[in-house]
Amino acid sequence: MSGRWNVSVDRRVCARTGLCAASAPAQFELDETGQSHARAETTAGSDEVMEAAESCPVEAIAISDAETGEPLFPPES
Amino acid sequence: MNAADELYWDPYDHSFVVDPYPLFNRMREESPVYRNERYDFYAVTRFAHVQRGLADWRTFSSARGDILELIQSGVELPPGTLIFEDPPVHDVHRRLLARVFTPRRIATLEPQVRAFCRRALEPVTGADRFDLVEAVGAEMPMRVIGMLLGIPEADQPAFRDRTDSALSTEGRGRMEVREKEDFGAEQFRDYIQWRKEHPSDDLMTELMNAEFEDENGVRRTLTDEEVLTYCTVVAGAGNETTGRLIGWFGALMARYPEQRRQLAADPSLIPGAIEEILRFEPTGPFTARYVVQDAEFHGRTVPAGSAILFVQAAANRDPRRFPDPDRFDIHRVTQHMTFGVGAHYCLGAALARLEGRVAAEEILKRFTDWDVDWNAAELAQTSTVRGWKTLPLVVEGTRR
Repeated sequence: MSGRWNVSVDRRVCARTGLCAASAPAQFELDETGQSHARAETTAGSDEVMEAAESCPVEAIAISDAETGEPLFPPES
Repeated sequence: MNAADELYWDPYDHSFVVDPYPLFNRMREESPVYRNERYDFYAVTRFAHVQRGLADWRTFSSARGDILELIQSGVELPPGTLIFEDPPVHDVHRRLLARVFTPRRIATLEPQVRAFCRRALEPVTGADRFDLVEAVGAEMPMRVIGMLLGIPEADQPAFRDRTDSALSTEGRGRMEVREKEDFGAEQFRDYIQWRKEHPSDDLMTELMNAEFEDENGVRRTLTDEEVLTYCTVVAGAGNETTGRLIGWFGALMARYPEQRRQLAADPSLIPGAIEEILRFEPTGPFTARYVVQDAEFHGRTVPAGSAILFVQAAANRDPRRFPDPDRFDIHRVTQHMTFGVGAHYCLGAALARLEGRVAAEEILKRFTDWDVDWNAAELAQTSTVRGWKTLPLVVEGTRR
């Protein structure tokens, strides 16, 4: 896990579990309604961020390579 | 208003089991902050209130349990029972399970779930009539949890029966809470020892090996006792709820034959239909919390120290949120309240959706038309779950 990643939370899908903000607080924060969003559009890639995306029960988090735009999560099937 | 019209909801009254919705509709419109003196609880029924309350763990705590009887019993709950914890401890425990419960990992179970479903439907293929709950619903969830945990197949039915009897309220109204409630944990104890000696690619092995930072900042693995608790929570939460979902599929598809025909003709509609079934007939109709600090809904104060029920079954039919809410429509695209919201959002949601979809696909591959022998069908209610105990399907059309 390296390089710069674009991270986004799909607000139409997010069920406000707050899990991402609990597991990767440097990258995700919750607003007063519990809705999550990425603190910065681009961040350093890490296991922690990937774990947050993988663990989201509704897969509301998308990660792509900031340079190439290649989707990293969810992976292209 | 005369006495007969007085709004009264008794969650233990079996006469509401068949159709609680007219009463829920009245509560939502006439008494959005409902108070039951006899059983000493509050209940909220509007979507916005249920959503706000379930997300606000600081005000509405799970630490005393999420079932009314548990909260009121003041019973000691085993540590690590993550459905009965609040953040930050809850999040430490939940993250650990979430790692092995990701939607993608759950998706890898699909071939096994489908194989089980096919085996279960084989004996009834060609029959004129069969009980859907007996054939699939009662058996499938525990089998799937068994696949996840690595419980040997031969032992799985026994697990189901023990977990169910711990949560049943039948015949006696309220659930009996034992002084030190373990929800059937003993049954898993032997397997933990056995799994240590025979590790495999299953949840129990992963839980035993997962390293994490605990609430005191110590890096460690789970104790046997903690692994035991996790397994029990997963089994208890995933068993009856998901089983009832399959029953509701059979019942609603009988009641709405036009929509069943659409599904049979186009299986790509099945995931949407499962969501609508979850909205329309949530197998867990309500969730209890303990009120830690005074809270306000609709201008009324719910005092600290109260027990409150968040009625998801009522919220799912709130006309403020869902147009024409009593209409069943598989084409509706919605976010219902059935899996909750916030920190306790159902960990097994992906698993329930997978089981519901695969069961629906396999049933519709064999049977296209059916009705239910409603006189012989039986609805059951426990402290946590509402659904069909028996659902005899009368088969009217098959693929061959």
